[in-house]
Amino acid sequence: MNDNFLRVIASLHRDGVNLDLKTVDICFLVALHARADQSGLTCFEEDVLLDVFEQVCDAVEADADNVAKRATHAIQRLRDQRLLARVDGAGVVRAGEYALTQLALGIIRFFQADEALTRESLTLLTKTLLASLAEAKANAKQATSPEQWREGVIGPLRVTVGDLVGGIERRQRGLDLQQEQVQKRIGELLQEDWFGAIDQCQSLLDETASTLAELNTVLLSDTNQIQAILSDIEQLAAMADMSDAEQTVHRVGEQVDRVAAWGGARQRAWSDFYQYVHRFLRDVVRLDPDRAISERLRNRLADWPSQPFALVIARTPSIRLLRESTDRVERPPVWQPSRDREQQIEDVIPESDLVTLEDRVRQSLAEDPERLADVLEEVLPHVAAVHRYVSVGRVTWQVAKEARPQSPRERDWKPILNDIEIEDWQLRNGRPHRSSGQPEGQA
Amino acid sequence: MNDSSFQDIQSVIEDDLFPDVDLALRRGCHIDRDEPDRYAFLSDAQLVLEEFYRRYGCELVHTSDGFFYLLPQTDSMGRRHLSAGEMLVGQTLALLYLDPATVQAGGVTSQDVVASRLAGLINQQELIRALNPRRRRYDERTAQRTVRDEILKAIRGLSGLGFVDLLDEGQLRLRSSVLRFADAVRGLADPGEAMAKLVAEGKAVVVDGSEDDEDYDGDDESAEEAP
Repeated sequence: MNDNFLRVIASLHRDGVNLDLKTVDICFLVALHARADQSGLTCFEEDVLLDVFEQVCDAVEADADNVAKRATHAIQRLRDQRLLARVDGAGVVRAGEYALTQLALGIIRFFQADEALTRESLTLLTKTLLASLAEAKANAKQATSPEQWREGVIGPLRVTVGDLVGGIERRQRGLDLQQEQVQKRIGELLQEDWFGAIDQCQSLLDETASTLAELNTVLLSDTNQIQAILSDIEQLAAMADMSDAEQTVHRVGEQVDRVAAWGGARQRAWSDFYQYVHRFLRDVVRLDPDRAISERLRNRLADWPSQPFALVIARTPSIRLLRESTDRVERPPVWQPSRDREQQIEDVIPESDLVTLEDRVRQSLAEDPERLADVLEEVLPHVAAVHRYVSVGRVTWQVAKEARPQSPRERDWKPILNDIEIEDWQLRNGRPHRSSGQPEGQA
Repeated sequence: MNDSSFQDIQSVIEDDLFPDVDLALRRGCHIDRDEPDRYAFLSDAQLVLEEFYRRYGCELVHTSDGFFYLLPQTDSMGRRHLSAGEMLVGQTLALLYLDPATVQAGGVTSQDVVASRLAGLINQQELIRALNPRRRRYDERTAQRTVRDEILKAIRGLSGLGFVDLLDEGQLRLRSSVLRFADAVRGLADPGEAMAKLVAEGKAVVVDGSEDDEDYDGDDESAEEAP
């Protein structure tokens, strides 16, 4: 909410602004507006105000006393609420002249727009619309320049025709409201006086029927004429290459389509209601004037659990289709003895690694090592850690075969690469010895 | 002088509407003025069709309320009686049909209104017992849910039989055929006599409250098996 609104609200609250209008005040305002229209008045002398108020009183409260006094109070109420303003500025010098304020005009316009639909108003609107469109079509035929199109066709279509179609749509809302009230009234009448309400319901239905007939003739047939004229204008606009005019015609056509769609839908719905209530009055209300059936049915339903009965209805069973019989062949299930298909994984040194190991041992022996530990320290660093323990045996076996180890009775334990310890041998010399004897050392 | 456009059964059977109407009647449907084509066909062919269905042991009933239905009177054609739920809901719908408030709405009401009207007319314990006949012990919450489910099931069933039209959002349009549920209270006769007359005419049966089987009698089984 911006500051402007807040200021207005604060000022309204400070001044204690309020409106308190009685029905007669509103009637008075509407009557003043009508008098101004009729007589071309811009303001009213006091005599005119009194005269109009008297007419209003005659119409709505024929037996009212002290009309002049009531008129004085009514005028004061309207002035206090800024609906009527004194415009002459003569003060006490002479009788004043008064005019309706914008607030009063707003209220009058609202009630005029909300007026319930009458046959005349809907007919008037559609006929006026047709006349306006015919005039726009004539202008379109004669238009030779874009200015003439704008002044004679596009302007009237946007303003006059748009207002008229809007007026028809407002009348539609009025008609919806009226139908709703008819339906509600029929329900209330039947509730109040079941059999005695038939005639009143019938007259309400007749009202619906006449509205339906009017809707059919006025809206649906006039709609066709309106669409035909719009189509002609659209063609002329296309020939004159006036795209603005084409678009305007198209928009008006859409509005008219909406009006026609509404008319069709309401006609179906109200027609269904009309037939339903007619049947109800004829088949139910007339045949059961005391509403005895409802009462008995209510009692019967309440007693049903203790005295149950059921209506009988036809029931044709669905056709049964039998399957063809076939010989069944018993097929033995596929079977295989179970076994453990998992194999133990064995760590082996790849063949190429063994050859390499042998070559390394030979190279080491060629350098005349003094002890087995020297050979192992030379070879084992080239072997993967996981294979070293096994490799120690292989190396020892090869050394025993190709060199000449000596082993005293008490052999020293010697650590190799921190993770293996061996009983060491002394080697006589490292040269290969083809005729190997018994090994003299072990890991 | 018969001014019907159907002079014999051949012309009736050759009409495009016959298969549809015949199947509907044999399924237990009620056809009223809200189905103008089928109703007009039946009205036009009424004399011929009455004779036709009589050979199947059935009566083609045309009521003063303006609807047709087929009433099996022998075991030649399958028949069943309505379930407890369908009977309770059907009578409630008939009551609503006669209510001015429903007239105001053009014959439209809602499932909630039906359930609430039924609950207002029948004691809750009796309603639970009527719609849960096989249960001797029950949890109240479960039983109430079962009652609501049974009411909805009954409404769907009655819709299939032409008593109501299901609309959107739980709304129903009542059709004049629901007045068949008021047959037991029509006329000025004693209610017991009226019921006895209905039973004698084969339009209704007196049932045991605990009965859950909808088949009318054992003979129907043989009738159902006929193709």
